[in-house]
Amino acid sequence: MLEVRNLTKIYEDGTLAVDNVSFTVPDGEFLVVIGLSGSGKSTLLRCINRLIDPTEGEIIWNGVDLAKLEGDELRMARRKIGMVFQHFNLVDRSTVLVNILTGRLGYTKTWPSLLHRFSKADRDKAWGTLKRLGIEDQAHKLARELSGGQQQRVGIARALMQDPELMLADEPVASLDPVLAHSILQHLEDLNQEDELTIICSLHYLDLVQRYSTSVIGLKDGKLVYQGSKEDIRNMTDEEFKTIYGEEAVRISDTSLEGSLGEVVEA
Amino acid sequence: MKTKSKVFKEEPNLPSLVPPWLAALLSAIVPGLGQALARAVQRGLVIFFSFVSIVGLLIWRFRLAAPRDEGFFNIFKKALYLEPIFYFITALVILLYIWIIIDAYQIAKRAGGPKRSKPIMVFVFLLLVFFIIGWQIGQIDLYAFFSQVDDALPAISRVLWPWERAITYPEEMWMGLATLETPCDGNPPPPTEPLEDRPYLVVDPTCGIPSTQDEAEDGSVIVVPGTKLQVEGYNFAPNQEVELWWRDPATSQFRHREAGEITRVIPDDDGYFEVDITWPYRLIPDSYLDETVNWELQGRQVTNVGDWEFSEELKLAIEKMIETIFIGMMATFFGIILSVPFSFLAAKNLMRGNPFTLGIYYLVRTVLNIIRSIEPLIWAIIAIIIVGLGPFAGILALVLHSIAALGKLYSEAIESIDPGPIEAVQATGANWFQTVMYGVVPQIIPPFVSFTIYRWDINIRMSTVIGLVGGGGIGYLLTQWIRMLDYSAAGIAVWFIAITVAILDYLSAAIRERFV
Ligand SMILES: Nc1ncnc2c1ncn2[C@@H]1O[C@H](COP(=O)(O)OP(=O)(O)O)[C@@H](O)[C@H]1O
Ligand SMILES: [Mg+2]
Repeated sequence: MLEVRNLTKIYEDGTLAVDNVSFTVPDGEFLVVIGLSGSGKSTLLRCINRLIDPTEGEIIWNGVDLAKLEGDELRMARRKIGMVFQHFNLVDRSTVLVNILTGRLGYTKTWPSLLHRFSKADRDKAWGTLKRLGIEDQAHKLARELSGGQQQRVGIARALMQDPELMLADEPVASLDPVLAHSILQHLEDLNQEDELTIICSLHYLDLVQRYSTSVIGLKDGKLVYQGSKEDIRNMTDEEFKTIYGEEAVRISDTSLEGSLGEVVEA
Repeated sequence: MKTKSKVFKEEPNLPSLVPPWLAALLSAIVPGLGQALARAVQRGLVIFFSFVSIVGLLIWRFRLAAPRDEGFFNIFKKALYLEPIFYFITALVILLYIWIIIDAYQIAKRAGGPKRSKPIMVFVFLLLVFFIIGWQIGQIDLYAFFSQVDDALPAISRVLWPWERAITYPEEMWMGLATLETPCDGNPPPPTEPLEDRPYLVVDPTCGIPSTQDEAEDGSVIVVPGTKLQVEGYNFAPNQEVELWWRDPATSQFRHREAGEITRVIPDDDGYFEVDITWPYRLIPDSYLDETVNWELQGRQVTNVGDWEFSEELKLAIEKMIETIFIGMMATFFGIILSVPFSFLAAKNLMRGNPFTLGIYYLVRTVLNIIRSIEPLIWAIIAIIIVGLGPFAGILALVLHSIAALGKLYSEAIESIDPGPIEAVQATGANWFQTVMYGVVPQIIPPFVSFTIYRWDINIRMSTVIGLVGGGGIGYLLTQWIRMLDYSAAGIAVWFIAITVAILDYLSAAIRERFV
């Protein structure tokens, strides 16, 4: 269980990005964070795995306050938290395999890893993960040679290599077209349901939120403005959504490919 | 009113301060003044400064053309005489002067009116004048180029195809001898005994008298021809030139000349030749004149024995080419090592954190830019002053320039690092070393490799140039050969440079393609 208490982040330039946010994520949850661009979603997610140091507050995970960890302890905690990024954040000029093996760095001794030596078990695991995400054919290509959807699968595979207990996904489908968005989110849903992986994912489109989330929090200007269960979000109208999102709120099915996509969403 | 040119943006619709005729007169005294007073101030200024600089340049060029003359008119006349292009320039300047006066008149007349003449013509005219003066200053001489290019052709063709110089044959001198006696004492020496395998000469007759000098009645010197000799050569190397030499009784040796021409004969396929010569004149000490003395006739032939081998020049060129490649390599090597730390200091994304590091950033950037803007050739000259002629000076110069150039390129590569992957690697729980190895290195290695190879390529090219001022390597050799007018040898050096650069070009392109 993850418990965020009174989390605040003020950037060096004085920007108040996250303002006294508290919420709880029970294990096995698919929590979706919604909010306008600039509302603090990325900052919140990055505070959890400490890519960003929170200014104030506690992040209690399995009884440990992540906000206070330093050095090796922090890294040990981090390797149990996978992260998927909007822009995939792959190392373009490394191969897919190397990108995926990067996920094992937290478990590998420094010297062998600097020489790109990974254990047989790690490499087998990498191939298993590649297969699970259906990209084993791409293993030896450079990451930049892949399409967006394939790159995000590599991103997920990298996170999976960490044997994560928690998965953070920062707008994982915002750079992808709607069909691919569903296929990527279905992978995450699969992990959530089969592996009982806790997922915290920020999303933009109401219908994606309704389709995949088990609970939702909404941010506006860094403040927590909405908290709802699966039921709440299913019943949410566009109007309510707009109070969080403002007039920008859209359904992914509004943006393109109406007919064909409607079915995917319905399914 | 619309004006196309910003320089001539003029205040419209104000009447001229002076009447047209006065504007023209004023511009005749001070070019441009008329225009300025007719409210075309910028036009007047441009005209004034252009005219002044043109006249200044002309005075300088005229004086330079006739440095020993005094007085305006003398200098003018002499310069025109020596360099007819001055007629042309003078005519143009006079035209320009007249045009300025007319222009002042028209500007003043039209001032206040709706239409102004376009200034494009002024520019064209000024450009033309500057162009002609530039032609004269640059001493451009197309006639010299086309008339002298013919004379240079033999040298150029030797540079273009120098390979005869690349091989040599070991040589040996063959000599066939015959002995003659003077004066005849009734007991002439027998004809030369035939030899096996060695060349020999048979002369008929075997005694006689050399040519002598006498004084004619008018005081001029005349030569009285000596005995005619029929010379036969045997066993010489076929088809290779034989020179006839004499050894006189005083044992000094000299070439035989027939009517002033050196005698050269080519033996036939059997190594035999036949030639008629006249016993030459030779100033000989009196002591040899009293008795019967021997002269020796020699047939000398330089022949190639054995197989061809590479010439000294070729070997030297190869040695120096290798030296050059290594100069470039060492310079690149040290350049890389030393530029890496500088590149971090010159990367803005790393240094903008606080004012102190930002200050270092600007300092390093500035120093690198200054070093880079000075040619390696000049650094080489400075290095030679410090460490003397030789490869080390060349390496120093190139290292310095490489640090600056690579430092800039590397720092730009560092600046363009994408922070995303680094963040992602960190998020997996990787430590600092792992993050650098997996997040940073893959991003900077390709550009680093690419820039490094590019630099190596440049350094080897440069090291040939730096050799010209004494920085070692093949360039040094090349200048020496050119100064010795040994164009074939120079050609070999040029070829080696060209071949090496071409190979390197290909290699660096190939390697870069792999990495980038
Ligand atoms: N590194 C940073 N330094 C200063 N301000 C930042 C930084 N990153 C984000 N912000 C600001 O913090 C606020 C929240 O940004 P972010 O967490 O990226 O929002 P979201 O992911 O919801 O778009 C925004 O106002 C943004 O401009
Ligand atoms: Mg964001």
